[in-house]
Amino acid sequence: MDIAHSIQSVGFLTEFAESQLPYPIVLSIHLTCIALFGGMILATNLRLLGLTFKSLTITEVVTSLRPWKRLGGTIMVCTGLLLATSEAEKYSPNPFFWTKMTILGLILLHGQVFRRSVYANTEELDRSPVIPANVKIAAVLSLVLWIGMFTMGRLIAYWD
Amino acid sequence: MLLQNAIADALNSTEWAFALAECLHIGGFAVSIGSIALVDFRMLNLGLRHETAARILKYTEPWTLIALAVVVFSGSALFLSQVDIYRVNPIFPLKMYALAAALLFNFTVHRKVATMVNAPPALSTTVAIVSLLLWVSVVFGGIFIGFLE
Repeated sequence: MDIAHSIQSVGFLTEFAESQLPYPIVLSIHLTCIALFGGMILATNLRLLGLTFKSLTITEVVTSLRPWKRLGGTIMVCTGLLLATSEAEKYSPNPFFWTKMTILGLILLHGQVFRRSVYANTEELDRSPVIPANVKIAAVLSLVLWIGMFTMGRLIAYWD
Repeated sequence: MLLQNAIADALNSTEWAFALAECLHIGGFAVSIGSIALVDFRMLNLGLRHETAARILKYTEPWTLIALAVVVFSGSALFLSQVDIYRVNPIFPLKMYALAAALLFNFTVHRKVATMVNAPPALSTTVAIVSLLLWVSVVFGGIFIGFLE
């Protein structure tokens, strides 16, 4: 608790949390990213499942959206950090917040686990006549993790 | 009125029902706006360039429509559960105007230009930027409803 109090007491973070305009603007940016880059994550996973964008190669979908997803992820983490640290005392005992952070960790782990077989292996996948089961598992897991991520994000507000 | 009360009762009496409606609302807007943004990104030449914008629109339109239905239904339920709060909120009508403009633009100009053969690049770019700005303004409106009174 003391650490949380010290974090949110940092001058600009206190000012930010109490501000009338910047706080909702940063929160709006955080949510806009969910839509813009969430759509790309969805598109990638549905392509990996072979459900849509079939006239595009997996390579095209994965690689052309990658830089935007990275940019979106960076903006989301930066805005999220600002939102959470400015109200550290409110967030630190919140179980939904920690569940969300755990899911974020699992998402990073997911990317590493499936990197070699899926995300860095798209050209091989495009040559394969059928989409291998592990690729579909990766896509479904990713969708489940992201749904968990935004659900927990919303539920943070419900714990008191 | 009776329906309104029934929805309000359901959402207010069970804590999880309101939370569920909010989660559906967020999931719905993420998918609807996200899928429209994919077409916009294509029109701006920022991704998926090996396929035409018309084809991307054809792929994404079913999920856009389903997600829009989810977002409008969950949004209506949230509205009906707290009509008195929304009625006096100064931001709420602005969000509704932005939403109406975004929907109208999406199914008229945006659709027309995305499906146009050899659309002038300047036109595609402008339409895609206007589309993104309209949808982003709806998201901002949604957040600001809860912050400005």
